[in-house]
Amino acid sequence: MTAQPLLTTTVGSFPKPPYLLEARRKLARKQLEQEELEALERRATEEWIRRQEEIGMDILVDGEMYRGDMVAYFADQMDGFAIAGMVRSYGNRYYPKPAVVRPVGRRAPVTVGWWKFAQGLTPRPVKGMLTGPYTIAEWSFNEHYPTRRELVLDLARAIHDEAVDLERAGARYIQIDEPAIHTRPDEDFDLAVEAMEIVTRGLRAYTITHVCYGDVPRIYPAMLRLAVNQIDLALKNDDFALLETFRSPRFTKDIGLGVLDAHSHRVETADEVVEGIRRTLKVIPLEQVYVTPDCGLKTRTVEETVGKLTSMAEGTRRMREELSR
Amino acid sequence: MNSTVVGSYPKIPDPPAPGRWRAGVEKLQRGDITPEEMRGIEDEVTAEVLAEMAVAGVDVVTDGQIRWEDGQTYFARGLGGFTIHSLQRYFDTNVYYRQPVATGEIVWRGPISVAAYEFASAHSPRPVKPVVTGPLTLALLSRDEFYGNLDQFVMALAAGLNQELKALAAAGAKLIQVDEPGLLTHRDRLPLFQRAMGVLWEGVSATRALYTYFGHVDGLYPAILDTPVDIIGLDFVAGARNWEVLRRARFTKQLGLGILDARNTKMETRDAVAKACRRAAEIVSPSHLHVGPSAGLEFLPRRVARQKLEVLAAGVRQAREEAA
Repeated sequence: MTAQPLLTTTVGSFPKPPYLLEARRKLARKQLEQEELEALERRATEEWIRRQEEIGMDILVDGEMYRGDMVAYFADQMDGFAIAGMVRSYGNRYYPKPAVVRPVGRRAPVTVGWWKFAQGLTPRPVKGMLTGPYTIAEWSFNEHYPTRRELVLDLARAIHDEAVDLERAGARYIQIDEPAIHTRPDEDFDLAVEAMEIVTRGLRAYTITHVCYGDVPRIYPAMLRLAVNQIDLALKNDDFALLETFRSPRFTKDIGLGVLDAHSHRVETADEVVEGIRRTLKVIPLEQVYVTPDCGLKTRTVEETVGKLTSMAEGTRRMREELSR
Repeated sequence: MNSTVVGSYPKIPDPPAPGRWRAGVEKLQRGDITPEEMRGIEDEVTAEVLAEMAVAGVDVVTDGQIRWEDGQTYFARGLGGFTIHSLQRYFDTNVYYRQPVATGEIVWRGPISVAAYEFASAHSPRPVKPVVTGPLTLALLSRDEFYGNLDQFVMALAAGLNQELKALAAAGAKLIQVDEPGLLTHRDRLPLFQRAMGVLWEGVSATRALYTYFGHVDGLYPAILDTPVDIIGLDFVAGARNWEVLRRARFTKQLGLGILDARNTKMETRDAVAKACRRAAEIVSPSHLHVGPSAGLEFLPRRVARQKLEVLAAGVRQAREEAA
């Protein structure tokens, strides 16, 4: 895509600043108007755009200041969904799980407005951020469709339309997150592949899918069939153990190389980032490697996030220098 | 014929009602309340859930497993030999559990679930059955860094959990349920599983229930009937094929008929439950039928779980009346 190797980016979400968390609580208690909240969301988005520019990220994200849950955000704005209630995922973590009660589809573009706002703030490219059809289906109850396949494929067509709208608005990078893609790979990984083909069909934008945690070796090399340019993965949290899997067969896509543990408070050093990239380059060619954190950073503090990304940018810069010598 | 549940129940009510359990965990993590105070909250929520199941009309209940972080950790941290590690996906669900790692010999150090059972029995309007995660499932969902082979690991767990079952029986449990969903993902382990069941239930004087869920028993049937248990619970939702599989040989146990979808909010009807009961009555005598959801109900929001239990109880009542 470019002469510069090792482009840096992030997975999507950043922490919401304390003033925004407080405003969201006030909105829930009806002590704040929706427009007041949106003004603060714009302010927080702009702050994150500036921080990413200052740190020196190459491909930016809007930080998702206006999103709660990655599935509910889409379900809330699309046809066919009702919010069924809160369901526990682990510990005391709960998420609002939507229920599909009618045929699903888009009423209007879901993400384009925020993307345009964020892109208007910076000359650097901002990624369009979508949740993939397999994950939306997997993390929803299905009360309507006779089979999961029919639901996934209808969602794929809707998310495709959204991707087309993002591209028309000018997005050069579009990411389709599929963290649930390895839930039941033996049963229907082909369906996930088919759905991704529908989502990205005919797009000229550079496409990325983010897959996190779970049993990645179980979907390797099958995941190389996903119709995207890049697969973004968490390497750091398991100390790059996945590289062993990627030795053979060869990793044929670009990789979004997770070099920062998104769920640890510790701020990695630039040396660790250099080391992670160096180990990777023994397995995956330089021109296929993009540098990212393992996952969205929304559960970190603002300070931790800035610290981690600064190390990532610094480590990547050193690695580029080393390679150009 | 009676109505029952398989195990878990949603720990928090639907918003805007306050989720005391969830808030309690947050306070405990911040150090704002003591572990004793957290146990008090679990007691209150357990009593509330027991009452809710009784009001819905369920005949035989569990304590809702309010105190369980998950089915593995709850027992693994009570046994000697385990440490608790990172998050893993629980089968094909969007639920995660902390993986136990066996780093030493598995030993039963004392009762794990008995006090919870006694509390539930004392506070429940309906009979309570204790539930224990079975040795095969516990082994498969753990990581073994001590035994070096699955056979020894499973048999050690069976011996340890045997003590737990005896303690539950001594505390007055007339019916004890052991959950083994792992058998369905590791069908080739049936011989090991059955040896483990022999050790697990040795000397336990209670009605023995074995529950599987998340799939069918094709390939295990009828051999599974040789397992030394009295009740076999099967999932007829994810394992709809069980209807056909059970026709291949006479079903010689009591049947746990998992017929309401514990993993989907789509609501069943009373008539559909009654119809499934009639259909099951062709497999076993109605007096040997325990009708319930397909799995634990914590996959659902509280309101939906409660409504499913109301439909379950009404359907079973209807089937009983039709039979009478």
